Amino acid sequence: MAQIQERGSTHVYKVNKISREEIEGMVSLCVYEQPPFCNAACPLKLDTRAMLAAAAAGNFKKALQLYEKIAVFPLILSHGCEAPCEGKCRLGEIGDAVAIRAVEAAVSRFGEAARSGSIFRTKKKKTVAVLGSGLFPLFLAGELEKKAYPLTVFCEQADLNAFLRCGTEFLDEKAFQLELKRLKAKDIDFVFNCAITEDFLEEKRASFDVLCASETVTKKLFPAAKCLPDLMYCEAEKLVCGCGEGVMAAAFGAKKAALTVDRLAQNLDPRNTRGQEGAVETSLYTDLAAATALQREPVPPEGYSKELAMAEAARCLQCRCEECLKSCAFLQHYKKHPGLLAKEIYNNTQIIMGDHQLNKPMNSCSLCGQCTVVCPNGFDMAHVCHLARQNMVSTDKMPLAPHEFALMDMLFSNNEAFLARPQPGFERCRYAFFPGCQAVAIAPETVKAAYLDLCERLEGGVALILGCCGAIGDWAGRTELEEQTREFLDRELSKLGDPILIVGCPSCKKEWSSHPGVQVVGIWDLLLKLGLPEGGHGLARPAALHDSCGARGDAETQNAIRQIARQLGCELIETPYSGDRSPCCGYGGLSAYANPEVASEMTEKCLERSDAPYISYCMACRDRFARQGRESRHILELVYGTDAGAPPDISEKRWNRLSLKKELLRDLWQEETAEMKLDFQLNYTDEARKMMDARMILTDDVIDVLKAYRETGEAILDSESGLLIARKRVGNATFWVKFTQEGENSYTVHRAYSHRMQVVKREG
Amino acid sequence: MAAERNYYTIDPEGKLQCMKCGVPLVKGKAKFLYLDNGFPVELPVCPVCGFVYVPEELALGKVASVERALEDK
Repeated sequence: MAQIQERGSTHVYKVNKISREEIEGMVSLCVYEQPPFCNAACPLKLDTRAMLAAAAAGNFKKALQLYEKIAVFPLILSHGCEAPCEGKCRLGEIGDAVAIRAVEAAVSRFGEAARSGSIFRTKKKKTVAVLGSGLFPLFLAGELEKKAYPLTVFCEQADLNAFLRCGTEFLDEKAFQLELKRLKAKDIDFVFNCAITEDFLEEKRASFDVLCASETVTKKLFPAAKCLPDLMYCEAEKLVCGCGEGVMAAAFGAKKAALTVDRLAQNLDPRNTRGQEGAVETSLYTDLAAATALQREPVPPEGYSKELAMAEAARCLQCRCEECLKSCAFLQHYKKHPGLLAKEIYNNTQIIMGDHQLNKPMNSCSLCGQCTVVCPNGFDMAHVCHLARQNMVSTDKMPLAPHEFALMDMLFSNNEAFLARPQPGFERCRYAFFPGCQAVAIAPETVKAAYLDLCERLEGGVALILGCCGAIGDWAGRTELEEQTREFLDRELSKLGDPILIVGCPSCKKEWSSHPGVQVVGIWDLLLKLGLPEGGHGLARPAALHDSCGARGDAETQNAIRQIARQLGCELIETPYSGDRSPCCGYGGLSAYANPEVASEMTEKCLERSDAPYISYCMACRDRFARQGRESRHILELVYGTDAGAPPDISEKRWNRLSLKKELLRDLWQEETAEMKLDFQLNYTDEARKMMDARMILTDDVIDVLKAYRETGEAILDSESGLLIARKRVGNATFWVKFTQEGENSYTVHRAYSHRMQVVKREG
Repeated sequence: MAAERNYYTIDPEGKLQCMKCGVPLVKGKAKFLYLDNGFPVELPVCPVCGFVYVPEELALGKVASVERALEDK
């Protein structure tokens, strides 16, 4: 049996760079991290989604904390803000937008205000003076106090009450008193009854580091002054000033002005390093189909009560694009959105020394392409993982262990179990039937029935090829191996007279379709043309049709299967995520080998769509569903009235392949092959058989160990359990078998295990 | 101190016997090798023929986890 060489060392210090631009281009397709529409529209960048979630849960304290992050005077802002967020709320497209402002007002009333900073808070060294009154000076004073500037407000009013009245006439008395209390609690010095003149201003300029003024003051003292609205700054007058009308303009202006004060206090150009300010565009996707509560809770004149605010906040859709996460068990398992996971997987390929912690996730993706179909932007996680696998293989950093069993299975299919013969009586054939490695392993009787049927009903001869299409090598990222397989199969096809290839598996169809010059047709298409043979029948109960991930984007195949099933009398249940949106059963991309846990979650995900029996047209799907205990049939079993029965274990799969080959060679081509007989008898306990299947240990491996024992007599006797223990190094692993011996030539295997490390005796 | 440097120490406790040589296994020096890395260990060894025994729980436990760690290097 051919072997695959294990990589020689962990000490390989090279990387093949995947283009950063290519990865960034891919990552940019994922909109998970894009802001929700309400948040993007808010110049103050309120985390509206989180605030509404807290309010909906009745946690007004947390909701107010979130609101206070952007609002120094929450009641003033929530009463006077123009609410650009509501205009962008996606609910507004199909019903009433969430009454965000009214919820904010309720949150401001019912929430527990944050305590102002400690009296021991370290103040900044640079001092600031704010001249004038109104909303802008008020908000700016609040922002600067938050930034811990020693701050003095000079105003014409006689007291704090009068100062706060300016610009806040819309507040009712209760709200006013609450905001007055809030203002009093702030660490701001006020100087009242000031006559603000140019001399007064210049005097303050001399004693403060940064000078700010209201728009009224600025216009009065410097009629020609030009305020730069992005900076809230009059450069010639060196004055931070207000401009614009309305509560939102004042609040946003104060935010920008506070940043300008920061820059000026550091003697920097206020244009520098400001980051992104104000409202932004977003490309987030929201599934509006989930929306149910379309009507707004009416706002009473006194504002929402707690209950009403909670009910209104609960209408928020919590816009988040999780289309792929909803449907993909792999992404759900790792709890990461694909943009982030793709970045991490990319970084994993670029590690020269150290742990590649993303190897397992990268090898766990089924490469099925479902995410690309369900993603509104077509994000292709399969491409990322596939590229990463190829990259790791090319630099000799890819561990062989996760894929070795599958790759060995592929070599087995194309060596010992391989068969390519023209139909008896033909030298060159018009057709060749390629059922696929899994069909031969799982349902050999069905394969035989299909081949005999095709031979009988097709003109020009039908050759048979039993082997693996090479998809396994491709999935493992072993491009070289896939290429070798492709060349090997092309040579075999050419010997048969370059026939039209009839495939029995959608993944094989995909793989073979990439061979230049090979005409490929699904057996399902031919059966529809020829008419179904006698003897087939559907299932007695309605059944769910599971589309193979190999047939994604292949509507012709998906339809052909449905037609066949209906002709057989099946009553089909269409499930969510069918057709192109179908998930993988867990076999694709070798997930089942690299990460059985995730693969099992994938199978569960497929099966949770219906309680009915499943009909599939990929033998791996049939097998995995049956292993999970579901009644599961391949469409060809129904067509030919065969039943592959209980799913075979890994050793039986190999045995099935060899047996079918032997049987067909004998019955069709009159060729006898040597008996595969052992010169000793080997029994297995049920426990041993299950253990071997779970631990990927073949009966062939156990036989090798027993043969070695019979030759050398090397074994250990464990007196406690009474079991003999022998071992043999086969390929890249050492296999250990615990057994009992009954007479000279009979053994019963009780346990088996393996490890990849080599163990040797050490001297000294 | 020498024992602490070893990765695994398994004492045969007299219940294991080498079938070929008919003698009990003893605690002996062995080495695990994988992907160009080596680890000194103490395992049950036949004092006559040198058969090194790797118990099941060790193979599926520590050995497997070290294998995984090295594979991801």
